[in-house]
Amino acid sequence: MKVEGSRQLAAPREVVYRCLMDPLSLAQALPGCEKLDPQPDGSYQATLKIGIASIKGTYQGRVQILDALPPESFRMKIEGKGAGGFLKGEGTISLTVQNGGTLISYSGEVQIGGMIASVGQRMMQAAAQQMVQQFFDAFSHQLPAVQPDAVNSGGLPPST
Amino acid sequence: MSSKLLGERIKRKEDPRLIQGRSHYVDDIQLCGMLYLAFVRSPHAHAEIKAIHSEAAQKMPGVLAVYTGADLEGRLGLIPCAAGMEGLKVPPHPCLALRRVRYVGEPVAVVVASGRYQAVDAAAQVEVDYEPLPAITDLDKAVSSDSPVIHESLGDNIAFVAKLEGGDWKAVESDASLKVIRQRLVNQRLAPLSMETRGVVASYSPGEDTLTVWSSTQIPHLLKTQLAVMTGMDEARVRVIAPEVGGAFGSKLNVYAEEGVACFVSRQFGKPVKWIESRRENLMATIHGRDQIDDLEIYFRPDGKVMGLKCHILANLGAYHQLLTPAIPTLTALMILGCYNIPAVFVETKGVFTNTMSTDAYRGAGRPEATYIIERVMDMVARELNLDPVEVRLKNFPPPGKDIVLATGVSYDTANYQKTLKKVLTLSGYKKLRREQARLRKKGKYLGIGLSTYVEICAMGPSSRMPAGGWESGTVRVEPTGKVTVLSGTSPHGQGEETSFAQIVAEELGVPYDDVTVYHGDTNQVPMGIGTFGSRTTAVGGTAIYHAAQRIKKKMARLAAVKLGAKPSELVFRDGKIETEDGSKSVKFGEVVGEAYFAKQLPPGLAPGLVENYVFEPPNYTYPFGAHVAVVEIDNETGEVNLRNYFAVDDCGRILNPMLVDGQIHGGLAQGIGQALWEEHVYDENGQLLTGTLMDCAAPRAHQFCWFETANTETRTPVNPLGVKGVGEAGTIGSTPAIVNAVMDALRPLGVRHIDMPLKPEKIWQVLRGGSPQVV
Repeated sequence: MKVEGSRQLAAPREVVYRCLMDPLSLAQALPGCEKLDPQPDGSYQATLKIGIASIKGTYQGRVQILDALPPESFRMKIEGKGAGGFLKGEGTISLTVQNGGTLISYSGEVQIGGMIASVGQRMMQAAAQQMVQQFFDAFSHQLPAVQPDAVNSGGLPPST
Repeated sequence: MSSKLLGERIKRKEDPRLIQGRSHYVDDIQLCGMLYLAFVRSPHAHAEIKAIHSEAAQKMPGVLAVYTGADLEGRLGLIPCAAGMEGLKVPPHPCLALRRVRYVGEPVAVVVASGRYQAVDAAAQVEVDYEPLPAITDLDKAVSSDSPVIHESLGDNIAFVAKLEGGDWKAVESDASLKVIRQRLVNQRLAPLSMETRGVVASYSPGEDTLTVWSSTQIPHLLKTQLAVMTGMDEARVRVIAPEVGGAFGSKLNVYAEEGVACFVSRQFGKPVKWIESRRENLMATIHGRDQIDDLEIYFRPDGKVMGLKCHILANLGAYHQLLTPAIPTLTALMILGCYNIPAVFVETKGVFTNTMSTDAYRGAGRPEATYIIERVMDMVARELNLDPVEVRLKNFPPPGKDIVLATGVSYDTANYQKTLKKVLTLSGYKKLRREQARLRKKGKYLGIGLSTYVEICAMGPSSRMPAGGWESGTVRVEPTGKVTVLSGTSPHGQGEETSFAQIVAEELGVPYDDVTVYHGDTNQVPMGIGTFGSRTTAVGGTAIYHAAQRIKKKMARLAAVKLGAKPSELVFRDGKIETEDGSKSVKFGEVVGEAYFAKQLPPGLAPGLVENYVFEPPNYTYPFGAHVAVVEIDNETGEVNLRNYFAVDDCGRILNPMLVDGQIHGGLAQGIGQALWEEHVYDENGQLLTGTLMDCAAPRAHQFCWFETANTETRTPVNPLGVKGVGEAGTIGSTPAIVNAVMDALRPLGVRHIDMPLKPEKIWQVLRGGSPQVV
């Protein structure tokens, strides 16, 4: 399953990049994130509580940041599993300066298995997009001096 | 005769208890101290099992134990495959996965708990570490030399290659006047989807050292033998009961992991154990049907006579063999010529392992695939030559007759394909439909008329050609009060043989229909038999009962003859009496029964009592046939196929009860039409099952169908004295190609030769807009 899109944020690229690398602000923005512990190897141990379709569950996983090119781009690898199945994803996030702010573009592949695949398959695409949107909505609030509604763009409807 | 029962539309003995909810399925069985099982299943299509952490689950309330594949190794036997084919590769198939999982839903561990919900909750807490491996779901990729191998010890993913060749291919290939069509047909995977899912209760009694198993199965006797072998128990101490079974369609003609595990756990604890399959488990871990790719080469004359058919079959077997997995596609090869006298045939069948659930028998089992191939062939030839499909069929039928041998070597018992075709053309008003079609085409409307003239192989079958015996046993016991008990080794589960068997026996013995009670499905009650599948129950099991009734009659006639001073051969059984044809000498049935049991004056050599068993070994299969016409309309805006009319003329030999025949045809049509238009069981390229719930897995519903116009011809078979052929699968086998032929006929002005099933609106819509039928 492909997940891609972009989002305009009203903050300088360096600031956005720094916030994206900050476990605390990430943990607060990630939907259902209960834990995000930095590991000695640079990855994070994560506990996410999410519901897709009728399948609500807790997923234990690992988030890795690879090929970091501050403040332009990085690759993110996610692996998680729980009673509802497993998910594996990999994607590239790039940041460009645009309209006095930063445009975040993301593009990745997510593979899911187990119950979430067989039950929630039809909703997965929509659910994933929604989670990404929730993330950016929350994330934009963490950025210093931001008016999120004024800068929404990139194909995603503004949140209300 | 006043007591005429055979051929009558008699209501089913089974229905009152079923309709009123007064019967018992496996899940209705409650035993004292019962334990419950929940299985931990693989979310991966292909992976190494690195570790299984069950500590947390073991500590949960009500949990008694968690077993893994390693715990069972050497203590519970492997899942059996009965298909004894030469050169077949048979990978080991443990009840719980060992070291590696090979399909999504494969059982990895089992939780035993004192409550059902406790078991399910604890199963969710068993953590398994997997190392994912590349999954193989595509048949073309699975057979390529660089494909990852699913069972490493077997070398590649090809379980068998079988060839069937007949006729003079040199003559065909050197004949420059022949035209050739090459076409690939995909016969998609389906879920059998019985209303009742699988389920098992195993109850081991330590004091008596006996194991009683209630299972939702089609084969209680074969299951008993296999469970004895798997558990290592003395078979005489194992009893299997098939209680009420809520549909099966072939999916319960099997021995499953969960049955073995339930027996194992019950023996461990000395307590009854229950497992009931959820619908999600049913869709992923009960066998699937079909799933073939058929590459065809059709050689034909310009007048429509087909001279040769070549087919390369890739048959998706799934990850392991279940009971008959590899045998199913071999039936496709056997029946590939259908009811046509095509002089040369070549079929190569490759059975291929993939990271999916096993395929096995699903209503029709290999023959729907064959019928689909040959009936599409006839229509493609007609289209290529601009001939009416009726004309092409008539050109290729053999003349009516007996013992017709085709290039495949198959010998058809009796045939009159012209007769069913003629009847369905009249019934449907075929010529008028063609005129209507021409009128509508001028208006830009697409009406399609599709034919299917099928023949199938059933009444399975002669033991020499069956994987595990094709005979059947029947017992007739006249009780001292004159009531009649009938025992059958078959295991009907919806087909209605409690009714038709009672009709046979009541008619033969001349006793009231209500005086006959039929039992089946309990291995301690009924002598060893084979079971219900392959449209065999009436033709083989009914014949055994018929013969047992003859033995009863012979004995009773001897007793009556003494009483009446007549010859036994002069006596007839009717209206509760045994009498001479003219009725001048007569004795009551019950009186003769009394003689047999009181045994005061038995003729010399005659044993007391009235119980007779007969084992019938069929000398051949039977070959029912039929002709169907489907009429469809295409919605130009949405691409939806609207089924307007369906006409089915079926010849299943002699009809014992027209209502039961109609019921079988109606249900069969629904499943066959379902495959053509809506149903498909889909794995993605990673081996994840996308149609894992009934939200995504299409199941046909009544409102999607039109009224079925059914009729019959009766060409009796000489294979059994009843003259019956079998009808359980005919509707499914005949209907799928009729629908696809109708849709392709409708779309003919658009120049499309073939679209693979299911013919969903999205595919048709794209064709209507000049595109190719891709699925988005």
